[in-house]
Amino acid sequence: MKLRRKVIALVGIIECSLIFFTPGCKTPPAPSEVEEARLQEQVLWGAGGSIFAPEEFQKYERNLAEARKALEREELKIGPFRNYARVRENFRQVIKEGEQLEALIKTRKASLSQEIESRRESLYDKYKILNNLSLQLNQRGYSRPHLAQADILFKEVDRLLAGLRYEEARGRLDEIASLLKQAENILREQLKRYMDQDQIRQWRQLAERAIEKSKTSGQTVIVISKLERILTVYQAGRPIRTYQVGLGFNGLNDKLHAGDDATPEGEYKIIKKIGASKYGKGLLIDYPNEEDIKKFNEAKKKGYITSSTRIGGLIEIHGGGKDGLTRGCVALDNKEMDELFKMIPVGTPVTIVGTTDPSNKIIEILKPV
Amino acid sequence: MKNLMKISVLGLLVVFLFTSCAKQPTQQIDEAKAAIDAVVKAGGDIYAKDELKKLNDDYNAAMDEVNAQAKKLFKKYGKAKEMLAKVKADAESVAQLIPARKEEAKNNALTALNEAKAAFETAKALLDKAPKGKGTKADIEILKSALPGLEAQLAEVQASIDREDYFGARDKAVSIKEKANAISEQVNAAIEKVKGRR
Repeated sequence: MKLRRKVIALVGIIECSLIFFTPGCKTPPAPSEVEEARLQEQVLWGAGGSIFAPEEFQKYERNLAEARKALEREELKIGPFRNYARVRENFRQVIKEGEQLEALIKTRKASLSQEIESRRESLYDKYKILNNLSLQLNQRGYSRPHLAQADILFKEVDRLLAGLRYEEARGRLDEIASLLKQAENILREQLKRYMDQDQIRQWRQLAERAIEKSKTSGQTVIVISKLERILTVYQAGRPIRTYQVGLGFNGLNDKLHAGDDATPEGEYKIIKKIGASKYGKGLLIDYPNEEDIKKFNEAKKKGYITSSTRIGGLIEIHGGGKDGLTRGCVALDNKEMDELFKMIPVGTPVTIVGTTDPSNKIIEILKPV
Repeated sequence: MKNLMKISVLGLLVVFLFTSCAKQPTQQIDEAKAAIDAVVKAGGDIYAKDELKKLNDDYNAAMDEVNAQAKKLFKKYGKAKEMLAKVKADAESVAQLIPARKEEAKNNALTALNEAKAAFETAKALLDKAPKGKGTKADIEILKSALPGLEAQLAEVQASIDREDYFGARDKAVSIKEKANAISEQVNAAIEKVKGRR
């Protein structure tokens, strides 16, 4: 009986201890690192961890989940038997990893932003160069559709960068780079003769021969430089007049056949003076000359042009305006054409060359690009 | 005395039950998670970014409450259950918002596309009115050369709409409209310049 009472009393004491003392006072509090890690995870998520450091962020999330599981396991134990030492250590590790991850995100964000911004700048510089060049050529612009697309994409890139959408911006910059490359290739192909020093030398020789002829004979000669769009009148070897001119839609190309809208290159002469036409006064030249016919026949023989293609003709120096495009003729403003018309007799030699400048703007612009 | 003994042992059992055996609201947790997943699947990360962030935060808070209760001797999951139920209900509401937002984004993209097309047509019509053939002003010809580029980008807008990238489509369409309007302005300026010379 006495023993029973003692046992009951002991059980009572244990119960009271468990109820009143153990749970409230002896359960160790969860480590503060748990809350710290939760806040850190939100910060990392908000900072774009999954975007800027996806692999590292995933690893961090895995480790955090492991730490949380360990915490849950510990919390399933009765208060006095809980030991958070290991859990605390786990969370500290995760927090440390998170701090490194935060620094990594910042670095990557900054470097990505810098990389994209500087790539944008460099591509935009290239765009400006190509765009200006294609505008300066003042003729049909085969590179223009590519440049117009690049311009649209630059506007998109700016919007994307403002919204911190770096990856999409990077994708657009790749598209821009490809478009600019295509535009550049078109321009290079179109203008390669203007960068070829042998070709420039030949043009120079043609021009010098015309000037020399004017000098020795005292005759008036016309020299037209297509790239510079300048018509110069020489008398006794000295330039007496220069005029700005317009050329064909594909004026910088050498004329090969009818309908190519190119302006011919070579040595010609004025064969007829036309007092009035749709384009003001006109000076008809003797295109095609022997050289042109030879080139045309060779091209036909090699199959570069169809057998039905004709060589064309009726190439004039006429009025109508230097800003206008022609089918291959050389156009001046009407007032200037009137002046030239008075000055030039039938038989005047006309030499048309690409350029005489061995360091012309095409070389200056396209070579560094 | 015998009864007192029984009561004491029973009391001990009850104490153990309270301290270690209260069950976590796993069903509510799973339901809340599933509701958030449904939001993500519906395109929440695009069309309800802020709401999705809040849902995730609320879910984390609810889980914190679950974890906090798990530590206690007398576990009360009532509040956690309420929080999880709210997350589920909120997620369901957000999921319902998405189709309308998606539709709105689609409509915005289509409107922007139509505006871009209209601006393109205006520029094209202006260029068509400009003199053709021999005598065409070089600057008009240069502007005309840009049109195929705009047309190619317009096709890209439609492709973006087709793959449901409505924001991307809208951005591109706005850029095309700006470019087309700039061309129209330049054509008008060129025409005015010509008129002025006459």
